[in-house]
Amino acid sequence: MKVLSKSKLETALNKLNQSAEVFLPMQKDKESGFYSWKLFNQGQDELMLNALNVYLPPKNVVLPQTERMYSIKQEGQEIKIDKTFEDSSPRVIFGARPCDLKAILCMDDVFLTRGYEDSFYKCRREAITIVANACFQPGPACFCAAMEINPLEPAGADVIICDAGEAYSWEAKTPKGEALTAQITEYLEEKSLSLPAAKPFVQDVKYEGVAEKLKGMFNNHIWERLGESCHNCGICTYVCPSCYCFDIQVKMWGDEGYRFRCWDSCMYEEYSREAGGGNPRGSGIERFRNRFLHKLEFFKERYGTPLCTGCGRCIVACPAGINIVKIIDEIKEAELDA
Amino acid sequence: MHKCECEQPLVPVIVEVMDIKDETPDIKSFFVKNPGGNGLPFNVAPGQCAMVSYLPVGESMISCTWQEEQEYLQFAIKRVGLMTDELHQIEVGQKIGLRGPYGNGFPVEACKGKDMLFIAGGIGLAPLRSFIKYCFKHREDYGKIKIIYGSRSYADLCFKDELFELWPQQKDTEVFVTIDNAEEAWKGHVGFVPSYLEELNPSSAGTIAVTCGPPIMINFVLKALEKMGYNDEQVITTLEMRMKCGIGKCGRCNIGSEYICLDGPVFYLAQLRDLPQEY
Repeated sequence: MKVLSKSKLETALNKLNQSAEVFLPMQKDKESGFYSWKLFNQGQDELMLNALNVYLPPKNVVLPQTERMYSIKQEGQEIKIDKTFEDSSPRVIFGARPCDLKAILCMDDVFLTRGYEDSFYKCRREAITIVANACFQPGPACFCAAMEINPLEPAGADVIICDAGEAYSWEAKTPKGEALTAQITEYLEEKSLSLPAAKPFVQDVKYEGVAEKLKGMFNNHIWERLGESCHNCGICTYVCPSCYCFDIQVKMWGDEGYRFRCWDSCMYEEYSREAGGGNPRGSGIERFRNRFLHKLEFFKERYGTPLCTGCGRCIVACPAGINIVKIIDEIKEAELDA
Repeated sequence: MHKCECEQPLVPVIVEVMDIKDETPDIKSFFVKNPGGNGLPFNVAPGQCAMVSYLPVGESMISCTWQEEQEYLQFAIKRVGLMTDELHQIEVGQKIGLRGPYGNGFPVEACKGKDMLFIAGGIGLAPLRSFIKYCFKHREDYGKIKIIYGSRSYADLCFKDELFELWPQQKDTEVFVTIDNAEEAWKGHVGFVPSYLEELNPSSAGTIAVTCGPPIMINFVLKALEKMGYNDEQVITTLEMRMKCGIGKCGRCNIGSEYICLDGPVFYLAQLRDLPQEY
């Protein structure tokens, strides 16, 4: 098999960096997430390819937190849109964990199917190559296998690497992956490597049947109790690799400006508040319920897979201790209202 | 600049406002066409919507109340928020943004041969009007037409020339208008739409009921129709929620796993029975 020795990793990254912007998991000061290799400060920052999950997922690479869409120019009653900002410059996500990769595939379903292709997403996404980092040792909050993911051999990767101590195994899975491999072929060796044995999951999550059961639970009393401690702060949606909801806003300086989109959160009251003041999800509990139903039921009904990938980030980040694993358990145990 | 060949569903086209008409103190009709007067950017079927934008301020999803051939698209817009407030300040000749058409529209084909009952409140007449005018345009395809419409006051009634002049003159057509509270000059019915509907008690036989209005009105109208013997396949309503993208991506207008912007805004009551009661 092809092997990338860890001693050659940085040289290989420098090579890839010549023709694409490479995003990797790193620790920068107190933050960890996927940042550009160009921004890596030797001696200060730390590469986190060995970590299971950095605090922020690579969501920002496929769906930037804010993204310009088009320019607006006003002159009296005339108005012009003379620029749109689709960005198709090449990017590599290097070391995405299978849960984060699956989240990107969920976003592909949203932005590229069901009648419309979102041009901003499409241009960006088509120029992204994903090197997935297979997982052998699930962390304490991990439950990806329960959410229809194979952590050893994740679907949708262009290249799959496995950490075998001194080196990574390197396997191209798509033409994009082959092209990436060709760029660093001088740093890859052909040799056999013994891969680590897969360890069992700490979390025992059984998602089977949950989407179907939830269909009869919209008005169940359980939501009041489950959502009671939620502050609707939105941190779960911020750290979630698959939460994709966005807002569209405008920024003007006098007669010129642009429209942009930015991440939004279903936890916020403004998210669904209508111009007349009405809000179908005016209470925190209603928003809490909608989020979990979207993750566990609605997305599955629409796209055939849940919108939770078992990364466990929201469990770690929630200041109120809300735990989606416990919620799944509670749903399974809940009695249906008569 | 955009290099690839892909369609750009989120980028509006520019259209020109060729006429503006005051419908009520807070509702104006905007008539738009391509800048310079050559046709329309796209066709809009009855019940479909478009994202209308006063570009420096924002975008709002508005149902198109009528497309007149290739002459104009008409949007009747109530002043309720930031964008609509700005839109109410513009003058004829202003260029605005438009993208669409969005949504499924009314099942005009499936309703052929039926008697039609339209029940609307306030600005809720705007989407229904596209269907009503379509029926008049294809008069022989539809049976008897009854229109029940109400507003807070006489001044708040939309499309008065049609309500009181044009529509009642149409073949086999009856128009019933009500206002919420009595007024000195008003000789017509006083009361809310749902109770007026029950009072009139139009037969459900061979009839399709189409309703739109404030959520509270819709709820009571649906209950009244059920009481009057309309089954779930005979009742059509249009829903609305806050929207940003209009193409089923941005997330916020879902009811269950359906998106109102894409899968709606028109639903049979039978479809709504399967969805969470969140509208």
